[in-house]
Amino acid sequence: MNPFWQNIFRHQKDKQTLHYFLSQVPMFAKLTTRELRFLEKLVHVRNFEAEEPVFSTGDIGSGMYIVRTGQVRIFVPRHEGTERELALLEPGDFFGEVALTASRPRSASARATTATVLVGLFRSDMVEAIRSHPAPMAKILLGLNRVLGDRLLQCSLQLDQFLDDAERSARDQGHD
Amino acid sequence: MTDQPGFSRAQVAVLYLVLTTAIASGIAIYSSASTVTGLLRTATAGLFLPLLLAMIVAFLLDPLVNFFEHRGLNRTLGIFSIYLLIFVVGFFLLMVLGVPNWRGMMLALKADVPRYISFAITYVANFLALAQQHFPFIAHYNLEVHLRDFSQTVIGLVLMQTPRSAMRIGSLLILVPLFSFFFLRDSRRITRALISLTPNRYFEMVLDIYAHISYQLSTFIRGRVIEATIVGLVVWGGLALTDIRYAPILALVAGVSNLVPYIGPIFGMLPGIIIALVDLGVGPQFWWILCVYILIAQVIVDNMILIPVLISKVSNLHPLWVILAIIMGGKLYGVLGMIIGVPIASIINIIILEIRQYRRTFNPYSRYFTRHGKML
Repeated sequence: MNPFWQNIFRHQKDKQTLHYFLSQVPMFAKLTTRELRFLEKLVHVRNFEAEEPVFSTGDIGSGMYIVRTGQVRIFVPRHEGTERELALLEPGDFFGEVALTASRPRSASARATTATVLVGLFRSDMVEAIRSHPAPMAKILLGLNRVLGDRLLQCSLQLDQFLDDAERSARDQGHD
Repeated sequence: MTDQPGFSRAQVAVLYLVLTTAIASGIAIYSSASTVTGLLRTATAGLFLPLLLAMIVAFLLDPLVNFFEHRGLNRTLGIFSIYLLIFVVGFFLLMVLGVPNWRGMMLALKADVPRYISFAITYVANFLALAQQHFPFIAHYNLEVHLRDFSQTVIGLVLMQTPRSAMRIGSLLILVPLFSFFFLRDSRRITRALISLTPNRYFEMVLDIYAHISYQLSTFIRGRVIEATIVGLVVWGGLALTDIRYAPILALVAGVSNLVPYIGPIFGMLPGIIIALVDLGVGPQFWWILCVYILIAQVIVDNMILIPVLISKVSNLHPLWVILAIIMGGKLYGVLGMIIGVPIASIINIIILEIRQYRRTFNPYSRYFTRHGKML
C-alpha cells in the first residue's frame, strides 16, 4: 500500500465526520473530542431543498442552525413582496442562536438558496442535556454567550458609528 | 353498460371480464386486509399490559438513571446498576421481613369470599326488605337473585383465572424489566428518529411540543404511581393495627383503585369494609377501619398532602370524562381497562392541552388578541 494514498483517505475521512465539522464552529471550539461526540448525539441534521424556507420572520424560534453544505440567505421581507438581504451564509456559518436560550420571535427570515444541509441545535434538547450532562453543556453555553457578546459588541459599535454619521449629516445640513 | 350500439360483442365481453376481476380483487384485498389485522391483533394480544407496565417503570426509573448519568456513569451501566440495586434491596427485604404468605392468603381468601359475599347479600336483602316497606314498587326488582348470580360468576372467574394469572405474572416479571431496560436506554434515540421524520416546516414546532408533553407526562405518571403507593402503604399501616385479615391484599386493592379519581377510592374500600363487618362486627375496630379508609388515607394523606404536592392541575379531568373513560376502558379491557382508562384519558388530555397551549402562545398573531381570542 502506498502510504501517500492511505494518508489522504484517512485525512478526508476524519474531516467528513460530524464532530470534526462541529469542532470548527466557534461556539464549540473549546470542546474536547469526548464532548464533541456527546454534542454529535444532541444535534439534528436536516436536509433542505433549493428555495426551501428554514424559518420566517415572526416565527417563534426554538434553536440555531449551522450550515454544513450549501448556502442560506438571511433576509427581511418588505412591502410588496420585496426582500432586503442581510447575509448569505456559507458552510461553517451559523444563525438563529438568539432562540437557543428563550423562545423569541425570529428577527429575520432564512431560506436555503441551493440544496443545503443544516445542523440544528435546539433548546428542548439542550435543556434536557443540561440536566444529565452539566459540564459539557456549561462549555457550550459559555461559547454561546461569547458569540452573543461578540455580536452585541459589533452591533453597538455599528450603532455608535451610525449615530455619529447621522449627527454629522444633520450638522452639515444645518450649515447649509 | 350492456348492449349499447357503440360496443361490439368482444368489447362487452372484455368489459364484463374487467368488472368481474375488479370486484373479485377488491373482495380479495378486503378479506386479506381483515386477515392481516386479525393476525396483528392475535400477535399483539398479550403485549398491551407488559408494554404499558414497562413504560410506567421506565418513567419511574428515569430520574434515577439521569442521576447516575449526571455522576458521569454510562447510561447502560447506570440502568444495570439500578436493576441490581432494586434486586438487592428486594432480596434484602425478603430476607428480613420474610416472604409474605401470598399463596396461603389467596387460598384462605378463596375459601372466605363466598362467606363475605353471602353476608353482603343478606345485608342487601335486609336493606331491601326495609325499603320495600316504604316503597312497595321496589318488589319488582329482584335484586337478591341478580346479586347472587353475579357473585357466583365472579367467584367462578376468580377460581378459573388464578392459575392463569400466576402464569401471566411470571411472564410479566421477565418481560417488564426487559422492555423497560430498552425503553430507558433507547427512548431518546427512538423519539429522535421519529421526530426527525417530520418535514422541515413543522420540525421545530413538533420538537418543542414533544418536549412539553414528555415533561408533563413524566411528572403525571410518576405522581400518580407514587400517590397510589403511599395511599396503599397508609391503608396497610392503618389496617395492620387492627385484627382484620388480608391487610396486604386490601391495601393493594386500595392503592390500585386510587388510580381512578372520584370513583376508585369508594370501590377500593368496599371489600375492606365488608370484611371488617363480617369478621369484626360493628365496633371500635370497624370505626377505626372506616376512619383509616376515608379520613386518613383519602382526606388527609391524599387530598391534603399528596395531590397538591404531586399532581399538577394540568392533568385535571372533568368528572364526566372520568366516568366516560371508566366505561369505555371497561368495555375494551375489563377491570384492567377501568383502572387504566382514566390515566390514559388524562394523558390524551395533557397532549391536547399542550398542543393548544403551544399554538396559542406561539401563534405569530397572538399579540393582536387577548387570551380569550378577542381582538385588541
